[in-house]
Formats: sequence, C-alpha cells, structure tokens
Amino acid sequence: MTAPPKKTILEARQLSVAFPSKKQENRVVDELSFQLFSGETLGIVGESGSGKSMTALSLMQLLPRRAVLHPESEIILHRKNGESIDLTGQKPAVMRQIRGNEMSMIFQEPMTSLNPVFACGEQVAESLILHQGLSGKQARVRTIELFREANLPRPEKIYTSYPHQISGGQKQRVMIAMAMACNPSLLIADEPTTALDVTVQKNILQLMNRLREQHDTSILFITHDLGVIAEIADKVMVMYQGKIVEFGSVWDIFSHPQHPYTKGLLACRPRLDVSLSRLPTVSDFMQVNEKGALVEKKGKYNSVGEAILFNAESPTELIEKRMQVIKSGPILKIKNLKTYFPLNLGFFSGGREFVKAVDNVSFEVYPGEAIGLVGESGCGKTTLGRSILKLVEPTSGFVFFEGQLINYMKKRQLRQMRKHMQIIFQDPYSSLNPRKTIGDTIMEPMKQYKIGRNKNERIERVMQLLEKVDIPRDSFYKYPHEFSGGQRQRICIARALAVEPKLIICDESVSALDVSVQAQVLNLLNDLKNEFNFTYIFISHDLSVVKFIADRILVMKNGKLVEMGYPDALFARPKEPYTRSLIDAIPKGDLEDIKKAQLQRKLSAQ
Amino acid sequence: MIKFVARRLFYGFLILFGVEAVVFLLFHALPGDPVAMLAGQRSDIATRNEIASELGLDQPLLKQFILYLNDQSFISIHENTPENQQKYEYNPLFRYDKDYVVALKKPYLRRSFQSNKKVTEIISENIEATFWLAVAALFIAVIIGIPFGIAAALKQNSWWDQFLIALSVVGISVPSFVSAVIISLLFGYYLSDYTGLNLTGQLWVTHPLRGRELHLENIILPAITLGIRPLSVIVQLTRSSMLDVLTQDYIRTAQAKGLGKFKVVFKHALKNALNPVVTAVSGWLATLMAGAFFVEYIFDWKGIGFVTIKAVQNLDFPVVIGCTLFIATVFIIVNILVDIIYAMLDPKVRLR
Repeated sequence: MTAPPKKTILEARQLSVAFPSKKQENRVVDELSFQLFSGETLGIVGESGSGKSMTALSLMQLLPRRAVLHPESEIILHRKNGESIDLTGQKPAVMRQIRGNEMSMIFQEPMTSLNPVFACGEQVAESLILHQGLSGKQARVRTIELFREANLPRPEKIYTSYPHQISGGQKQRVMIAMAMACNPSLLIADEPTTALDVTVQKNILQLMNRLREQHDTSILFITHDLGVIAEIADKVMVMYQGKIVEFGSVWDIFSHPQHPYTKGLLACRPRLDVSLSRLPTVSDFMQVNEKGALVEKKGKYNSVGEAILFNAESPTELIEKRMQVIKSGPILKIKNLKTYFPLNLGFFSGGREFVKAVDNVSFEVYPGEAIGLVGESGCGKTTLGRSILKLVEPTSGFVFFEGQLINYMKKRQLRQMRKHMQIIFQDPYSSLNPRKTIGDTIMEPMKQYKIGRNKNERIERVMQLLEKVDIPRDSFYKYPHEFSGGQRQRICIARALAVEPKLIICDESVSALDVSVQAQVLNLLNDLKNEFNFTYIFISHDLSVVKFIADRILVMKNGKLVEMGYPDALFARPKEPYTRSLIDAIPKGDLEDIKKAQLQRKLSAQ
Repeated sequence: MIKFVARRLFYGFLILFGVEAVVFLLFHALPGDPVAMLAGQRSDIATRNEIASELGLDQPLLKQFILYLNDQSFISIHENTPENQQKYEYNPLFRYDKDYVVALKKPYLRRSFQSNKKVTEIISENIEATFWLAVAALFIAVIIGIPFGIAAALKQNSWWDQFLIALSVVGISVPSFVSAVIISLLFGYYLSDYTGLNLTGQLWVTHPLRGRELHLENIILPAITLGIRPLSVIVQLTRSSMLDVLTQDYIRTAQAKGLGKFKVVFKHALKNALNPVVTAVSGWLATLMAGAFFVEYIFDWKGIGFVTIKAVQNLDFPVVIGCTLFIATVFIIVNILVDIIYAMLDPKVRLR
C-alpha cells in the first residue's frame, strides 16, 4: 500500500537572517529553503553559530531586535483552517493567534524558560484560556490532563508547584505540555534535551515521539547531536555557517553522507562500539580553500568508516596499555571518603539531616591512567572531584596522593600539593577572568609556584604551552572574549598544564562544547596524556565521551560508587541495572537502530 | 514564619541595645551642660546639685546607663513607692526584697529636660506628621517612578529614555537640604501667588474660631522634596530590572505562547522586575519614617526629625535618646515587614 499524500505544513523559501553592522551584513542564516509535512520530524543539525536557533526564531517571528529578516524571505504556513499565509511581515495580531496555537516552541534551557513567579499549571492554562477561550476551571482540568499525557508525576501537585520546586526534566515536560496545549500543527524544539541527563533525554524523546504520533504534529527538531537526530527525525538538514550543506532522509544521511562536513560530524562522535585511539575531527574531512569555500580534504580519509577503522585500537594494544599502568603503585588512593552537606532545617528542629553527596567512596588511581567518573546530575561526581582536591572539605575518609595523606595537611603544604593536582572546569566562559590577558592567566600559577626563573622565561614557556594546545603564540596578549568556546577550553587546559601537574581532574570539561570541538579537545587531552604521562580523572555525564577517554570507568549513583570496570567490559556486560540504563539511554545513531526506528514509525503510521 | 519574626525581633533588640549604648556615650562625650541650661539664672551650687541629682546626672555613667535601661524595659525593678507608681504607671508582678518590686510597664522614656513633658508624649504628638509626610513622599515616588521606569525600559536608548536617566541622576545627586531650600523658596515664596502654597505649614492647623483644620496643601512641597530621591532611584531600578527581565528566556516563552505585548510586559515581566524595586521602596519607607531631618527642619514640619534636631540643639538628652530608639524600632519593624512582603512576591524566597 502507498502512504496517503502528505499535507505540507510549512514552507520556507530563501530564508535569510542577518545581524547588520555598519561595515557588513553578517548573515547568520543564508537562503534556506525547506518544506515540512504533517506528522514529520525534521532535524536540523549543526554546531553552535550555524544559524539553527535563528532559523527557528525567524519561523516564530521572534527574532531578537537587532536581527533582520531578508525581504525576499518567505515563510508560508498552511493553517488549520486551510488558509495559507506568509508569516514574514505579518501583523502582530495575526502572529499572536498563530504562536502557541498553530506553532509552538520548546527551548533549550528548561531552567530559565518558565516564569519563576507563576505556578507551572497557571502558565500552561494561560495558553488554553488565550487560544481556546476556556474558562479558568476548564483550563485547569485540561492542563492536568496535559500533564498526565506528558507523564508528569502527581499532575495536581505540579499544577500548583513553582518552577524552582521541580526537576529539570519535569520542567521540560511542563514546557512540552505548554507547547502541545492547543494541538499545534508545528512544534519547534530548540535543543530541548541538551541540558538534560541522558536518561531524562531518552524519556523526553519518547514523549515527543508519542505526542507526534497521537496528534499528527510536525516537529522541527534542532540539535547539535547526531545521535539524537537518529532517534527522533525522519529527515535531516545539516547546517554549516547559515547554509544547508546537506538535506535528506535520516537513513541516507547516516548511510551515505555526501558533504565532508556531514562526514566529519558523523565520524567525530565518540562511539560505543569501537574503541578508538584518536577521534577523527571535522577538519580531517574538509578545509576552507583560498576563495573561502568549503572543499573536501582529499587523502586523509575517504569515508566515515575508513576514518574509524584507521583509528581503532586493537585488543592487544589495549591490554598492553593496561598492564603498563598497574606496574607502579597508585598515585592517588581514596579511602572511605565521605562528604556530607547538612540540610538547613532551621534552628529548633532536632536531629540534623545530611545530603550524602559522597558516601563512603574508595578507589585507586594509577599513574598515567585516565579514570572516567560517570553518573546522572546530582549523583555527587563533581563533589567527589572537589573533595579530592580539598576544594570542598570532606566529612571523613582519607585521600592519599603519592602516599601522602592530604586531609590533615596544613594550608602551606596543601598549596604545594595543589601544584600537582589541577582541575579544569565545565564552563570555559566563566572560568577565565575576562579582565586578564590569556598570558597573565596562564602565568599566574607559575609565579605562585616559582616555575621559571624570570618573567621572560615564563612568557616563553606560556607561549610554548599555547602552541601545545593549538593556540597561536601571539594570543598571549589577547583577552578571553576574543576566543571561541573550544579555544577557551584549550586555554584552560594550558593553564592547568602550566604548573606541570601530575593529576588533572576534568569536571565535565567538554560538556559545553559542540561535538566537533569536543573531538578536538578530547584528542588534545589524549595526546597530552601520552606525551607527559598525566593521570586524569575525567568527570562526565556522557558515557560515550568517557568510553573514549577513560582507561577505567567508575559509575556513581546517589553518592555511592556502584560499579567499576574497564570500558569494553563495562559496556558489554554491565553488572548494575543502573549502569545498563545509563548505557541504554545513549542515543546510538548506528544504522541498525535507525532502520528499526524508521520501520516502527511506518508501522505505527498505518 | 513566626519563628522568623521571633528571631528577627531578637536581633532587633540587640541592635536597639547597641544604638542606645552608642547614643548614650556620644551624648555624654559632647560638650555642654544640661544642668546649666535648666538652672538658667538661678545658678547657685545648691540648686544645680539638686537638679543634677533629680536628673540622675550625679551618678556614675554605668549606673546612669543601667537605670536608663531599667526605665525603658517592659519588665523592670523599682522602689515600691507611690511616687514611682505614679511616675511609671507600672503593674507590680511580685515583690523583690523589702522595698523593691518587679513590675510590668510601658517603656518609660523619661521627661524632656526642656519642657518636662513625657518623651513618649512628644513622640506620639509628632509621629503623625512624619508618618503622613513619608507616605506622601513614597506615594509620589512610586506612582511616578514605576511607570517612568517601565516607559524608559520599553523605549531603551530613545531620547525619552536618556532624558529620564539624566533627570534621575540629578535627582539622586542633589542633597535634600539644597532641593528643600530651592523648592520651598521657588514654589512657596516667589511663585506662591500662583501655586497658593506656603513656605512652611502644618498638616493640622488650629484655627482660632473653626478649631482643628486639615491643610493638605501644606504637605505637597515637603513631600515632593522628600520624594525626589526615592523617585529617581525607583526610575533607575525599575528600568534596569525591567531591561534585565525582558531578555530572560521566560519572556520569550510568553511571546511564543502568543501573548500580546501588554500581557508579556505587565504580567510576565513586571512581577519579576518589581522584586528589587519593592526591596528598595521598603528600604526607603524605613528611612523616611525615621524622619527626614533636613526636610522637616527647613519646611518647619513638626515631625520626629524636627523634634530630634531641636532636642540635639538643646542637649535635651531624654528626647534625643527616646527619638533615636523610636526611629531604630521603626527601622527594624519595617525591615521585617519588607522581608515578609518579599517572600510573598518571590516564591523562591522562604523565610527562615
């Protein structure tokens, strides 16, 4: 049988958005044309700054004030009542009828997307009252129904809860309920799961899939994660610098990517199936030629498969590496470490209660080893990292670094100790002082620990370090705002390296980065490890990243260490159901899964 | 909530104690002799000593201080005599020793050196004027300030916005005694034929024939003068807080819901934007309630501030310390109320 002819919901023609300045136009979206059919999910992939979000906002006509929509752009919406209108330059009154009613949107940050001073239910009901003319009471009943549909626990309770009282995943569900309230024909989701844990992400994706099936809504799904796309989308649009570089069905894109950028994106994602010694990067596949156009880089890898094959590690290499590591004694030994935070229950309440952020954790780290520490947000992995460095005071337990107990060290000794233990934080934007040049920032700890005999020697050393992390030497005198996120994170790495540490703790150091940049930073960390024989503790919520970088993985849950093992064994045969659920929640994006997902969709469509 | 109030009141008492100690010591360190002022012409030593002992000024400083505290406390110890009974109007709780009694009473702030009136009486006579002046000033500031602030934020960088900002900078930086003099002279003297306002005046005026009369027009000039600074602060605060809120993600959510601009601004943005403004306004309320010394003095407005300045000039110690304590108490109570209001506005704030 043939599928019924699909109805077009939205057509974009020659969509261009610019942020004009005096000198130039600065296009962020460049002549985009695409169509969206009813019940279809279109995924837009691209790195940050590729114009994905601006595309979404221009469809909603919610562009920031400084952004200008090109006059030739057309956005045709086929409305529920059969009318077709061009949304560009439409009257505000008409747009208001469409927004939230026929087109609705979910944003990336569930934490800030709900108004903090109104109860969650009120905010959803508001939309129903506005568009469907329900009374307050009817809206309440309907909202609770919507909450139930969105799998929110205790919908009546959530109705009266304020956003700060519920979790991030629940907030995103409230947002989805709000967006689906009036049965829109188009739902735009701008990175709706990026800020969430993998397990929560999985549930949200399932929810969106189910709602789409039930209501025949089209979804425009924006993400930088190809794995997520494979799970939810029918068609994919790959964007690079405001342009569409490739468009096709999920199957086509994943099985036969044409454009080098797409190939790069597919290859640079850390994989679960093969262990790699080095991640391929986007720049392995493409380069910018003299005219400024993107061209394929010939010679290195011809296909995604080849890139992966080329970098795969053989089991013998792996075993050899492991044997090497445990030859020497542990560099870091943690014994029964506990870090409790007292719950502030007020003055008169008896017995104190604690949040057990780190609860009786013991493990050893060998020199030259990379330990991956994974778990959902709130499991205590960050606190563990900080307790090791004594940035947070542990409640009890022991931390030995090179045989020395650091718990009871005097401040002075501890400071000397910190020279050997460095930390790289998650957010490269807020961990560099904006008023200091890069050079000064990196040099500061060197002065503290008297590395280098004089200033010139230190400057020379900083420049060497910058080169080491692929930042030009002359960046010494530049300020953080002149760098991109990935570059900043590399600068943070250089700063950590400056004092020649033995142990580096990376606290979600690549989570805020694009997949393509993430691959570069991970490769850098790996190269540095091989070169200087560092020991890493790599904290992340992303199992695929940890699998790539770590020699051994520790899984944490509610402050406790629940499982420990070598990556290949852990992924193949997890002992704990918790580890299993973490692994299952990772969007796979391999062809088998895509085939399955597409088939399922066809079946349910019939 | 009750626990919160109780704890804050406890801290409040500590603050009052500190205030009292500082004022007490300061006053005794000041030059000038209240006895000489009271004795006036009859300055023989016997009279002077008599006055001094009557006022308790011949006692050592620490003892004076403790006696003072005893007088002010709700529960206090007194010699059980009919005179004391009349003086303090206490209700004896139980006897202590033979001649002493532990008693419950209203705080006794003593009598003015100058007029021999009870200080509590002086305060209660003058508090009304200060209260209405503060309320009127704040009313003007809020009614004008918030809409101006919103308007400036919505038309950011327009000439209207920049004009308001410039004006508010002037309003913040001009000291109140300067603006008081200018305003009173300009509108109450040179232009008084057109405005119909007086240079000075009271809210209640006792007319020889018609009795006590309300003269609302007399509050206009001092209230405007007093309101200028809070007005300017409110304009700037509302503007910056509104600008900040308007870039928040939840405003975009509200727009994506299809709400009109009016609802987005006045329902979703304003309630968030008002939080810092409410704190500021209530802070001002406390300040203004404490009396606007210069403004009251220049406009001859018989309020707490006016009385305090006069008392300082006359070394009228009981009045100064009484007024100071009263002002501090108002401050503390208003601040507790502010925190409660704040918790009601912002669901994230919980009183602990």
